[in-house]
Amino acid sequence: MNIREVIATINQMQADGVIERYAIGGAVGATFFLEPIATLDVDIFVTFKAETGSAIASPKPIFDYLKARGGAVQGEYIVIAGWPVQFLPPTGQLVEEALREAVTQDVEGTPARVFTAEHLAAVALQTGRAKDKARLLQFIEAGALDAARFQAIIARHGLVSAWQRFEKQFLSDAP
Amino acid sequence: MSFDLQEILKSKRALRRDLAARPLAEKLRMLDALRERALAIRPAKPAPGAGVLREEPPPYGKSDKRT
Repeated sequence: MNIREVIATINQMQADGVIERYAIGGAVGATFFLEPIATLDVDIFVTFKAETGSAIASPKPIFDYLKARGGAVQGEYIVIAGWPVQFLPPTGQLVEEALREAVTQDVEGTPARVFTAEHLAAVALQTGRAKDKARLLQFIEAGALDAARFQAIIARHGLVSAWQRFEKQFLSDAP
Repeated sequence: MSFDLQEILKSKRALRRDLAARPLAEKLRMLDALRERALAIRPAKPAPGAGVLREEPPPYGKSDKRT
């Protein structure tokens, strides 16, 4: 089980032209900015290449590529180096922007493209499950967010009222 | 060591800060270990039955409906 091997495999897949762009999100992405966050899978956001003759982008080339290199398909996941990996297309403008503006981090010589802390926090705010709210709090408590950048992102993506509710619920002293 | 809650919370925050500041490769190795431990513990957990309160996770990118 080795997450660095997952990242190296995805880098190779990108170099081989199977995907255009990728970025790590979810708990693994957050771990680049926070303390390690236990998770059972890896979320990789990708821009898919449309198959020849098809207008619809498909994850099939990714699965074919990885299966040929020993990856095992398990439902929506493909297992690489012991980790179930889920490839996710950008489902909205926020994630599209997060993919475009992702940063490259160096992991002992292995480059890893990761969402910025501010985008991870904004995606957590937008997704809005209890665990996403808990993660957003972790980002805030750790002082991992650039306030101006974060505010600009949530304003661009219509999340200001969600943020105000979050602030009132979790960051206000008033009951 | 003390049972002073403020001190306990302070030390927890310090530990989290220390972990967050570790090199990326070390943090990713910790994720590998955490997953292995989680999988080892998981079979002992009973499956949630009827009447158990759970939150259904929406897919990524779906806005909070109240927004």
